This record gives sequence, C-alpha cells and structure tokens, in this order.
Amino acid sequence: MIWQNYQLDSSVLKVTEGLTLWQVEKGKVDISKDSLAVPIKLGNRLEGYVFHGQGGLLLDTIIETEEGAIGKPIEKELDESFLMLGNTEKIQQYLEPASKDKIREMKYENEQSFVTEAKDLLDRFLGNGRIHKHQCWSYNRGSIFAFPNKANKFDILIGNGSKIVYKAINTVFVSSDKNVVLKTPDEVILARNKKPFIIRKQFFP
Amino acid sequence: MSEEIKEEMKKLREEVARLKEQLEDVTDREGRKSRGIFIDIGNAHEYVEDVMESVAEGIHGELHKCILIGPGGVRIAKKERLPLGEGEAEVSFPKAAEVMSALGHEYRLRILKELVSGGKYVNELQEKLSEITSSTLSSHLKVLEEAGLVVQEKVRGRYLITIPGRTAYKMTTRITRFLERGSHE
Repeated sequence: MIWQNYQLDSSVLKVTEGLTLWQVEKGKVDISKDSLAVPIKLGNRLEGYVFHGQGGLLLDTIIETEEGAIGKPIEKELDESFLMLGNTEKIQQYLEPASKDKIREMKYENEQSFVTEAKDLLDRFLGNGRIHKHQCWSYNRGSIFAFPNKANKFDILIGNGSKIVYKAINTVFVSSDKNVVLKTPDEVILARNKKPFIIRKQFFP
Repeated sequence: MSEEIKEEMKKLREEVARLKEQLEDVTDREGRKSRGIFIDIGNAHEYVEDVMESVAEGIHGELHKCILIGPGGVRIAKKERLPLGEGEAEVSFPKAAEVMSALGHEYRLRILKELVSGGKYVNELQEKLSEITSSTLSSHLKVLEEAGLVVQEKVRGRYLITIPGRTAYKMTTRITRFLERGSHE
C-alpha cells in the first residue's frame, strides 16, 4: 500500500449545466451552471472537487413514526466554497476549463486566488482530522461533503446509498433503511421501524 | 381442681418437649435448608404494605422525571406532566388560535384524515379531494403546514402528518363524536 497526500489540481473548471452532485430519497445537493471547481487528487487519481457557486442542500431530516412525523427538512443555500469527495466519474463530464472572464465573474482575480482559497478549505478539512491526510480512501463508500459553517468548522454530509450521516451545528442526523437518529438542541429521537424513542427537554403533547 | 390443672400443665410441657425434639430432628435432617433467619411473620401484612408503599413512592419519584411507555414507543421527558387545569398561563393563545383555525375547515380535516394512514404526494391528495382545485388544495396544505400539523418533504415532496397534527385530528374527532352523542341524548 502506498500512502499519498490529497492534493489540489491547479486547473480551474466550470460547471457546464445545473448539476445534481448527490441525490437519494431524503437528500440532494445541487450546484448551478457556471460554478467553479478545482479537482482534488490522490496521486493521479481524481477523488473529488472543491466547488464554488450557487448551490443548494436539501435534507429531509424528518422521522416518520406511527404517531406522526417529527422534525423539519433542512434547506440550505450554498453560496460559499465547499468540498466534495467521491462520485467523480459522473461529475467529470459536466466540467470544462473555466475562462478568465468566468473566474472574474465569480469574484476571483485569477485562477490562483480561487485555488488558494480551495487549498485553504482542503487543509482545514483534513486538519480537522475527519480524514487523515494520508488515508487510503475507497469511494465505493459513498460521497462526503464538507460545508463551512458559522462556527468556522464544517457541516459534514456523508451519503452511501440510502444511508446518510449529517452533522451540523446543533443537528445530528443518521438514517438508514429502517433506523433513524435525529439530535437537535431540544430532543434526541431514535426510531426503528417507525417506533420512536424520544428524549425531550419538555414533554409534548 | 388445681391437681387437674397441674396434670394438664405437665402433659402440655411434655407435649412441648416432644414437639421440640421433633423439630430438632427435622432441622438435623434438612441440614442447611432449615438453618437460616427466622422472621416473625405475625406483622407480615403491615410489612408488605410498607414495602409496597415505598416501592410506589420510588416509582412515583421516577415518574416525575418522567418515563412513559406506550404501544407506539418510549418517551422520556425531564418535566412532570401538569394536571389538567394547571399551566394555562404558559399556553400561547395566538398559537392555539392558529391551530384551531387550521383545524376549522372541512377540507383541512379531510386532508389530515388522508395523511393519518401515511405520507402522500399532492396528486394522491388531489385524487381523494377531487372536488377542489389544485390551488385550493395547496392553500389548505399551506395553512396546515404553517400551523405545524403537516410537514412536507423537500426532496420527495410528500406531505406527512406531524405528531401534533395527529393529536389535533384525534382530538377533533373525539370532540365531534362527544358533541354528536350529546345532541342525541
């Protein structure tokens, strides 16, 4: 086994049409046309991208139980740079080199200024220890998204088939086919086959 | 007479002595089984009552934290449930009015009834409520959603009834049945 570093490519690309980066029954990440992207590589292998542009995250952090639904969907606009690892094959065909004008339209002076920002994002993500810089990663495990948040950390979304893990400020959501866990500041809900186990600060109803 | 009593007393002592011997025999035969702590169970009834009372107090104390187990699952809440009539000051009347207002329409109640059996897409609801237009259905769904009685999935788009929605629907049907029964009596 050869240990290699995650590194950014120096080429800046643009998204040729509105693109769904990830979608399952409960979640979806979109990026708009003309968004910028820098490839992330592990050795020669393409592993992901840092994107910048208009995008959206939809996540149905709703738990269906026999007593009714609990939770609310998360709807988030993505207007800052974010990172994605995995699912590169499908995305690759919707990217082409970005012209200097397109880069300037996105408020970057030149290619290098966007690459520098993307590198900072990647370093912060790897530095947070979520993925070791030298880790050998297999992408049949699904996709990882890292969205910078207000706390100067990352909201993390991991999707693998119908399995989802989402960790954001004040929210943790874990979902598989039959089991769901949702943690918010007010409650923790665990559900298996629609049978809920709820721990709340205040009893309702 | 006193002689008779003395004789009787003697017999009784002999009987007691004999019984003691028998008891010792049994104790020896049974070995460890017969040894142990002898408890006077004369006050057993009171003792059991005391124990039950302390157990009940313990359970009651735990219920203050509050563990509720029902067929639908388990709920744990930090606060004690207030008896009916207490805590009205905490009720938000504007919110209560909003919820009641959301419930106060035949079609919205029918939407809730449809959703009780499971999440539905708008077109499925439209089929069930074919006498109203899609825009009217949307506006009713919006009212229910704003009141927190239903929630819409953002990805699939299904509408789901929430726990408050189900509770409110149940409450409405019970009140209606109660009033209908009352009007017949």
